[in-house]
Order: sequence, then structure tokens, then C-alpha cells
Amino acid sequence: MSTRVSFVMGVSSLLQRRCLWSSQWRVRNYSVRSAPLPPDLPLLAETARISLTPKEVEEFTPKIQQVINWFGQLQAVDLQSIEPALRADTEGDNLRNDVPETFENRWEAMLSAVPSFEEPYIKVPKVLNKE
Amino acid sequence: MASVLFRGIQTRPFLLYPSALLSRKNGVLFCTTKCSQSQTATQENQQTQMKVSPRTHTKKVEKILHDYEAIIGIETHVQLDTLTKAFCSCAYLYGSQPNTNVCPICMGLPGTLPVLNSKVIEFAVKVGLALNCNLSMNSKFDRKQYFYPDLPKGYQISQFDIPIATGGFIELDLPTEYGGGHRKFGITRVHMEEDAGKLLHSGNGSYSQVDLNRAGVPLLEIVSEPDIRSGLEAAEYAAEIQRLVRYLGVSNGNMQEGSLRCDVNVSVRPIGQLEYGTKVEIKNMNSFSAMNRAIDFEISRQVDLYSKGEDNQIIQETRLWEEGAQRTVTMRKKEGLADYRYFPEPDLPEVVLSEEYVDNIRASLLELPEVKRRRYERMGLSMQDVLFLTNDMNVADFFDATIERGAEVKMAANWIMSDIAAYLNNEKLSINEIKLTPQELAELISSIKGGTISGKIGKEILFELISNGGTVKALIEEKDLVQIVDPAEIEKMVDKVLIENPKQLQQYRGGKTKLQGFFAGQVMKLSKGKANPGLLNKILLEKLNAKG
Repeated sequence: MSTRVSFVMGVSSLLQRRCLWSSQWRVRNYSVRSAPLPPDLPLLAETARISLTPKEVEEFTPKIQQVINWFGQLQAVDLQSIEPALRADTEGDNLRNDVPETFENRWEAMLSAVPSFEEPYIKVPKVLNKE
Repeated sequence: MASVLFRGIQTRPFLLYPSALLSRKNGVLFCTTKCSQSQTATQENQQTQMKVSPRTHTKKVEKILHDYEAIIGIETHVQLDTLTKAFCSCAYLYGSQPNTNVCPICMGLPGTLPVLNSKVIEFAVKVGLALNCNLSMNSKFDRKQYFYPDLPKGYQISQFDIPIATGGFIELDLPTEYGGGHRKFGITRVHMEEDAGKLLHSGNGSYSQVDLNRAGVPLLEIVSEPDIRSGLEAAEYAAEIQRLVRYLGVSNGNMQEGSLRCDVNVSVRPIGQLEYGTKVEIKNMNSFSAMNRAIDFEISRQVDLYSKGEDNQIIQETRLWEEGAQRTVTMRKKEGLADYRYFPEPDLPEVVLSEEYVDNIRASLLELPEVKRRRYERMGLSMQDVLFLTNDMNVADFFDATIERGAEVKMAANWIMSDIAAYLNNEKLSINEIKLTPQELAELISSIKGGTISGKIGKEILFELISNGGTVKALIEEKDLVQIVDPAEIEKMVDKVLIENPKQLQQYRGGKTKLQGFFAGQVMKLSKGKANPGLLNKILLEKLNAKG
């Protein structure tokens, strides 16, 4: 699930990068209007950890470009006088009390499904560097 | 709602001269917490200096350090002491069997959704207020995306551009043994996020092991302004953050347990230069003193390169502190900034704070370390005493309770810092666990001040009170400890001792004046320790020098 979502979100973040000046956390500038950059597919695939053949890269680039352009239509909206919303919903909070509950069915429901489980640890390939 | 606070006791396994420990008032800083060690930066420094020979700068580097200024910023991750994790109801118990405090949510299994623990917001607001920050009444969560085996969802829920608190500051006092001084450091931001699991690298190198118990545990990330200028300041900053989170009751702040982690960014520039130098990140410092040494080493390393004209060799990278070799080494080179593809967490609503909510929390905050220090200073205590007494909130509370009951300030401070502290360290107890009450300490102090008992007797009673409790009055009666202040009675005893020790008397009158101590001891013994020492010696001296 997470790789697919990450791929899609990676695409939308290409759009976002047009809006954020830098990776510093500063106020967004919504007045930027220009055509979105063509997607760097090898980079995109790398960040999403999806391997693509050169043929697939060629095939997918225009398709992803189309998706970006489709989102890009939003840039036609005049947001100059609009207060930025933090988030899309207006539902209010959804909080939980700090009361512990044990998930009972750990082995059957979860750990037994782990591809390589070496009691009591989850066995994974050795990865030294983050990102 | 009881948060179990695991706090460490002062243990000094490498102490070479225990007697020196007891005679130095400030040598026995202690915390009223169990389990693992927790020490102030100074304590750690002193301890380390005993087992590691002091790292000396080369003469050359010493000289040129003065021409450069270090710019240091610290990112601290504080593990919050909530009963459950940030986004699920799993308990988090440090030391549990691996992969037992887990559920589908914190394991990142498909179809699960995070639900925020309300306590996390409360703790974040507490810390934000304590750090004098501006609170964002509306903030949000974001996904910070990267792939790593200890990150089950493939992203960390964090706060990117709208953190819950920004623009604050923290104040502290540097220890007197390092020159003292007051410092104020800016706090850039405080935000909420979740912890990742634990990754253990196996010996033979072909695979690693993951324990997800820690995944989802709530963290507060506190980022300082680059206002820190030395290893010492950095260590004290970290110690003050630890002090603060313990005072607030939001975390046990144990570096050894991993509930307080610091990453440091260090750069240097020639004094007078406006531009910052290249920033280097340092990781893997497991104690305040390690932070101090690591930073000082790194400053020297960078200054040394500058002085040789090789400052272009300073690159933006992450270096690891090697405790054994006492140096930093390259871990990996930062190839540009990591791209975390931040976007707002769609599964979590906005975090909205109301004025009332914030006001309630502000009103519930107890006296914080900085305020307490200033109050104690105004009471006339020395900075050394102030730092000692305020290091641990329970000790400060005990002290406050004692003087509230009328005890004289300096005396109360002395008793707590010397005899009581020594006992606590020996028995590895916290001040809350001894049977002595502030009431009785106050009573003891006033009994001594009023002359009812001598100071020496007081010490004996203290020991009894600490280990077995009881009251001062009862003990005095029971053991017949009232001081003898009647000069006539003392005279009688002095006479008796002089008569019984003619040889020593002769020696004294022959010139061996040191024997006064011997006679004094004999009179004390005779009086069962109750003779008022001042009076005793006065009368003794008179009698000794009278005849002949």
C-alpha cells in the first residue's frame, strides 16, 4: 500500500515543490503560476522504490505528465485573497484517551504473517543508510 | 492518570575517594529517581575526568581557538511518558520482550488509521509554555516519507511547516566549577511526532533485526536556535531540557534509556565573519559529558582545518562520536538535503487549541527550574547551593517544605546537601523514600539552633530519623540527648577528667597543648556526648591553664 501511495504522493509533491520556496518550513506562496516541470521518472521511481525498465520510463513519463497537468489546472484559481487552510476537513478533532489496551491476537493476526520472523525479532535485509 | 516516572539515582561507580565526596557539599548532586543513572552535566564531567585522561588541545589549536567562534544548534527528541502510544492504544513498557507492545496500527498494517492520544497534545502544550514559545492554536500533522526497516508505514507522522510551538527560549546557569554564568538560548520550534522501531544489526552482517515495540511512541522534537557556543553550554542546555521535562512530568528524560536524544550541529567561523561556516551534524553521543567532549573535539577539528587553510575540507556531513577513540568520524556524506516529500497527513484532523485549554494548562504548571533558581538566589543561597537544590524537583520540594516550617534557610540547605544527600547516595534512595519528613528536619534544625541539642547529636538523630522515622522530640527524650549547658555541671566533669588523667595533664602543662583535644574527648565521653562543645572547651581551657 505504502509504495503505491508514495508514488502518487510523490507526483503531487512535484506540484507542491513549485509552491514551496525551499524545503524550509516557510509560508507558502500561492501566487506562482507556470507550467509544471516534466517529471524526472527515474528519480521518482527511486524515491518510491519501484524499479522501472527503460521502456517503462519512456512509456510512463507522458502519462504522468498528463496527471500532473490535470492537477495543474488548479493553478488557474486565484488564491490571492484567500486565507490558506491547513487542511481540507472541517470535522473537528478525533482524540483518544490515554488508556492502554493490549492487542491480544498478535501472533495469529500479525506476526505469523511476517515473511521472515526469527523469534522475537522481525528479520530484515541489512540496510545501513537511511534514504 | 498516574505517569510512572522512571528517574535515575546518582551512582558513582568510579569514585576513588569517598571521604572527599562527603566533605564536599556540592559533590553529591543527586536525583530522586530509581533505575538508571541520571546526572547533571557537571557530575558526568567530573566522573569522566577521573577515568579518561583529559584531552588536551595542542598548543597551536589552543591559541587559535580564540580567533574563532563556534555556532552550535541542538535537536532534542524527548520520548513522552504517556501510558499509550501516539496513535494507538498500545502501552509502551521499556524493556519488554520485543514485538509484544504492538498492534496493527503501529505495525503499519493495511487498513489501519491513526487516532491521536489527547495526552500528547497536553504534554506538547506544557513543554511549549515552559519554553516560552508561541503556541500555534491550529497545527497539523504531516507525513515525512522515507524507507527504512524500522519505519513500518514507510513514513513518519510528524509536523513539518506548522508545528505546535515556535519562537521560545530557555534560560540556565552554568555550574560554578566551570566559571558559572547565566545563559539564554533561543528555541526555534517544538513539534509532535512518532518514534520508529528499533533496528539491531546482527554480528555476521547479512541481516538485521527489527523490534517494533517503540514504533509509534510519542516524541517531542525540540529544536534550538544556533545560540550555543561551546561543548559545556551544549551539555548544560541538554541537562536543562532534561530537568525541565522531569519537572513537567512529561518524560523521564533518560539519555541511557533513549528517552532523551540529542543531535548536534556544529560549525565555526572566524570571529568577525558574518557568514556561517559549513555545518556538521554529530550523532551517537550517549551522555551529557559525551556531548561536551564531542563538540569540543569537533570545534578543534574544524578550527584546525581553518588554520591550515583547508576549511574547504569541512563538508556538510554526519559524523559519529566514537567514545572509545574520543573523536568524530565520517558516517556518511550528505548528498544534498533529503527529500521527505512532506504532505499533510490525510488521516488526522487539525490540532486545535482553545484559549481556555491553554490557560488551564498554564495555570497547572508548577514552579519551573529557572523561576525556582531565581527565588532561591533571592533567599540568599549561593549559586552552588541553588544549582544543587533545584536540580531535582523532589529535593527542592523537600527543601521548600522544610523552610516553610520555620527552618533557617542556610541550615536546611546544608543538611540536605551534605548528610542527607550522602545517605541517599549510599543507600541509592530517592528523597521521597526516606522516613525523615520536612517537618522533623525543621524541628531538628530549630532544636540545634535553640541549643537543646548539639550539632553532633543532631547528626546522630538525623541518621535515626532518615532510616527509621520518628520525631525529634521523641528521640531526644528517649535517648536523653538534651545538651548540657549548665556550666557547673560541665565544670564537675572537667574536674573529674583532669583528676583521672594526671599524666596527660602534666604533659599538657609541659607544652603539649594538643592534648586539649584528648581532654575534650574524655569529657564528651563522660557526658555521653551531651556537653555543649563551646562551653566545654571554654571551661576546659580555663582549668587547664589555671594552675601551675
